[in-house]
Amino acid sequence: MATLTSPSGAARREVSAIGRPPSLLDHLLRRFGRAILIGIPLAFLVIWTMVPIIWALLASLKDPLEIYESTTFLPRDPSLRAYWAVLGMDGFPRWMFNSILVTVVATIVPLILSILAAYAFAKYLFPFRHVLLLMYLIPRIIPRVSLIVPLNDLMTDLGLINTYWVLYLTYIASAVPLATWILVGFFKAVPKEIEESATIDGANMWNRLRYVILPIAWPGVVTAAVLCIREGWNEFAFVLALVTETGMRTLPYALYMMRDAMGVQDFAIYNAFTILTVLPLLLVYLLLERRVVESIVSGAVK
Amino acid sequence: MAEGYVEYRGLKKSFGATPILHGIDLKIDEGAFVVLVGPSGCGKSTLLRMTAGLEGVTEGQIRIAGNVVNRVHASKRGIAMVFQSYALYPHMSVNENLAFSLKMRKAPLERITDAIKGAAGILQLSPLLERLPAQLSGGQRQRVAMGRALVREPAVFLFDEPLSNLDAKLRVEMRAEIKALHQRLATTTIYVTHDQIEAMTMADTVVVMHDGRIEQVGEPLAIYDRPENLFVADFLGSPAMNLLDGKVVATDFADQPRAVEVTDGVLLPIPSEAEAEVGQSVVYGIRPEHVQLVAPDAGEPVTMTLVEPAGWETHLHADLKGISLRILSVERVGAKPGDKAAILIDPERVHLFDRATGRRL
Repeated sequence: MATLTSPSGAARREVSAIGRPPSLLDHLLRRFGRAILIGIPLAFLVIWTMVPIIWALLASLKDPLEIYESTTFLPRDPSLRAYWAVLGMDGFPRWMFNSILVTVVATIVPLILSILAAYAFAKYLFPFRHVLLLMYLIPRIIPRVSLIVPLNDLMTDLGLINTYWVLYLTYIASAVPLATWILVGFFKAVPKEIEESATIDGANMWNRLRYVILPIAWPGVVTAAVLCIREGWNEFAFVLALVTETGMRTLPYALYMMRDAMGVQDFAIYNAFTILTVLPLLLVYLLLERRVVESIVSGAVK
Repeated sequence: MAEGYVEYRGLKKSFGATPILHGIDLKIDEGAFVVLVGPSGCGKSTLLRMTAGLEGVTEGQIRIAGNVVNRVHASKRGIAMVFQSYALYPHMSVNENLAFSLKMRKAPLERITDAIKGAAGILQLSPLLERLPAQLSGGQRQRVAMGRALVREPAVFLFDEPLSNLDAKLRVEMRAEIKALHQRLATTTIYVTHDQIEAMTMADTVVVMHDGRIEQVGEPLAIYDRPENLFVADFLGSPAMNLLDGKVVATDFADQPRAVEVTDGVLLPIPSEAEAEVGQSVVYGIRPEHVQLVAPDAGEPVTMTLVEPAGWETHLHADLKGISLRILSVERVGAKPGDKAAILIDPERVHLFDRATGRRL
């Protein structure tokens, strides 16, 4: 039974926590502090990232001349004209195909290589593994632009300029370190005993990786896959430097070239192209978002 | 000499330059329940992991069923291991967890189903088969871990501190379950724990380890009643044995020609057969439950310093002329700190150790 003279538990805690009775300001801060601390930066971030996309989307639906009028925000007479124009472009299907092909290869191959490499780095004790893992970072530490000239020379010598191979090789080389570093962390988080248990249960290395490690570290694999997809899809510097033929362009490159190609700037078409370039990536994100968030959260808590 | 079912011969293990095991020789009979017990870092888990094939052998031999298994893969040694952390596959249901080892062995589906049914029946897992480990309580997870070991029908069960993650009540229950399981299956079992109660209650044979060496091997009560050295005497028993430094002296009593002087003027009796010479420095050991509390003038006078009633027994701390003494009474003692009392010691209950070597005298 609580006695009349003792304050309630909650009140006691508040008094002892701040050393004085709570004021109205304290109450409001406690009530809304969370919303202020988290909500405002979050809202700012959402606006910051969404405004360009929304602007591009609205602009793509406008009449070309309407875009130059700064008085309208929403399109006066929304039309899909620009989208049909983009989809009707001679090279567009080819560029889309190139982007998809290169991205798929630059996701699957690095994932396979990285899963194997990360498994070794995470679970096996071999000499120089720390140094090797650090060396993995070199391709990502060196600015991409500084690689372009030597890469161009090398690929010209190898006769790979204007082939898919040049994109596969450079994209894979760039994605492997990223995916490996992500996966090493996830694989390391799988408790040693679980793998030992599988060893005693008769699972060899492949089976342990396939049936035990990969399913447990699956959110990490998805995270690595999403980042590989993003890298491949958005890559610009290498394709710009190593591809010259129109038919070998990817979407970001084609988008860049479009600016110069159009005599009169049709910003509606330009923005429609942008939206069509971003859209597949957005779809992938939406499909995999839950997995990625799960993995980021689990990484943070563990 | 007869071979043990599991046998270690001159077994040594080092991690780099650090020696962990210094030469283990031990024979474990078929069907025995052997508990390796010792403080953390004594090498007991390493010994178990070497038996399982999860750690290599630096020197010596491990034999299972007559075969040297030093270079045999963990999955081919005929062992099954239950880990402290259960090590269940978190993405598999209980059913799949149980089936995994048999699937890896490509056992026919019928055999897998039968084995799971059998193990689930023994361990009362049948209603849980579709659940994931995360949906199970600690005790249930522990049972799944045991079930996973069971389906393999191993020649040797290895348990690595399997009850450490459970709360006290569940630990007592699981202790009984594991023992009952062993009585039912009679499979050779090696069980590692740092908990001496587990060691005492579960084992046919207790192996006390310390610093990478075996200190003593024997039946639990035999070791408890007759520890071979100071370490074992101190390690086994809760509350721990009273160990008092003293010197053997000659007395004027005909029936007790020798005694141990633990402090000025305090002579404590020693067993008549103890091989101790007058003048020898010794450690005088007496278990708290063997110190008899009597009326103030009926024995060696002590002053109570601390009284801890535990319900079923009372732990007392008493001052014997500057020496702190633990006393355990199964009766409810109404004493308070500061009260005067006296103690009597039955010489046959006394353990005498050489202070220099720590060996029993």
